[in-house]
Amino acid sequence: MKPDPTRVLEHTMVALMGEIAPAVQPAYRQSSVSALGAMLLCVREEFDRAVARRVEENAAIRSLFVGGGRVIQEGSLRDRLLVAADETDPDLHVPALEARNQQLRALLVELHAAVEAVETPEARALDEAIWAELRAETDRRRLTLQAF
Amino acid sequence: MSDLTPRLADYLAKQMPHASDVRVRDLDRIFGGASRETSRFVMSWTESGETHERRLILRRDPPGSLIDTDRKIEFAAYRAFHPTDVPVPEPLWLEENPAHLDYPFFIMEELAGFEASPQALFAPPFNAHLDAIAQRKWTILGEISKADPAALGLDTVMPLVEPGEAWRRELDYWEGELRGHAQEPQPIIEAVLRQLRRSPPPPPERLHVVHGDYRTGNFLFDGAGKIHAILDWEMAHLGDPLEDLAWGINPVWQWGQGLDRVGGLTNRAQAIAWWEAASGLRVDPDALRWWELFSCVKGQGIWVSGGAEYADGQNQDPVLGMSSWMMGNAQDRATLHLLGRLT
Repeated sequence: MKPDPTRVLEHTMVALMGEIAPAVQPAYRQSSVSALGAMLLCVREEFDRAVARRVEENAAIRSLFVGGGRVIQEGSLRDRLLVAADETDPDLHVPALEARNQQLRALLVELHAAVEAVETPEARALDEAIWAELRAETDRRRLTLQAF
Repeated sequence: MSDLTPRLADYLAKQMPHASDVRVRDLDRIFGGASRETSRFVMSWTESGETHERRLILRRDPPGSLIDTDRKIEFAAYRAFHPTDVPVPEPLWLEENPAHLDYPFFIMEELAGFEASPQALFAPPFNAHLDAIAQRKWTILGEISKADPAALGLDTVMPLVEPGEAWRRELDYWEGELRGHAQEPQPIIEAVLRQLRRSPPPPPERLHVVHGDYRTGNFLFDGAGKIHAILDWEMAHLGDPLEDLAWGINPVWQWGQGLDRVGGLTNRAQAIAWWEAASGLRVDPDALRWWELFSCVKGQGIWVSGGAEYADGQNQDPVLGMSSWMMGNAQDRATLHLLGRLT
């Protein structure tokens, strides 16, 4: 698909912020148009990574679930962890990946809470691995325009 | 906004029975008001044969916002602190009947000629006075914390709570906001919620006035290092004064100036020292840490609420969408930083 959608978003952002916004009045509307331009820059960044970050994250979370199956010895949580750990992402459309990502992250919250209550070295190691993944999640979602 | 002009003039005329020829001009919405639509305007009128003019601010409830708040409480906070050592604009009229301007609103004086934006603060000529601004900022917060809610009349407006339950009320509320509006799981904040529930903070000795959003960006400053008004009291309540201190030093409010500069202005120890000197209170480090983590829950509650309202189409102000994306992620990073897991 040419021109690349990312390039289209860039051009649109430049037009909004550089040409259109300065000509808009009142000041509130001008600032809103500039903000919309900045939003397009964020959309451009997310468009580029949308599939990659979800595929990477879903795999990373499933890997944690394998460890969770060893720490959580019984119960429905263990069963659900093991089922989810065996799944894959056959549909690479973003909505399908996003839906699966949300299911996995909700299960990750349950696993994290359960692991916090287990006092074994393996549980502590898994807790650390979960925090490392949570750090990685924030990095995957970070936008260039963020001040922090 | 133009159709509001004659309606606003009609309203003001009714509030000023001794005035005639009440007019409104230059009604202009200010960008960035996340909780209420904020506009400036000029009112003119004739009284006793003389013509007068005054620059005013209209704060009108929007259909959706980042924060669901009670305008009566915000108005009462302005009234309580005007005029005191805590500088605020003079509040003038509160109107809860939506018949006048479609939504409830209040009107206060505009303190014109000053800046509020952090972007301006960290650029010349204002950035030459960051130390003075910092000292004044944390001293004013100390004054707010020192204030007696009963003496200010705020104990009859703001809901009371047992001091030992202040933490729970706030945590319950923001947990509810988070759970009610989050469009995706929040594993970092969920972990913090569990931690906060496991180890509540010690109670404050009494209830204090809590501004609720005391941060760089919510005060008016000049080019000489002076703060002229503390704004945005929409989340004011009675509670633990460490809540305000913790919110103000949260890493999301350093505005790109570095994690060693709380509020983008000064180091953490200095900010706390100024606050302690002005408030007469002493910080319990463990309690402050609890409130710092709580601030992350509250912050994320605000960002996901705004994001949900943007997604639902209740309010399509791009500020809401941008805040949900960028501040939401920054809030998670701030949380990781406070937990020592960002390195």
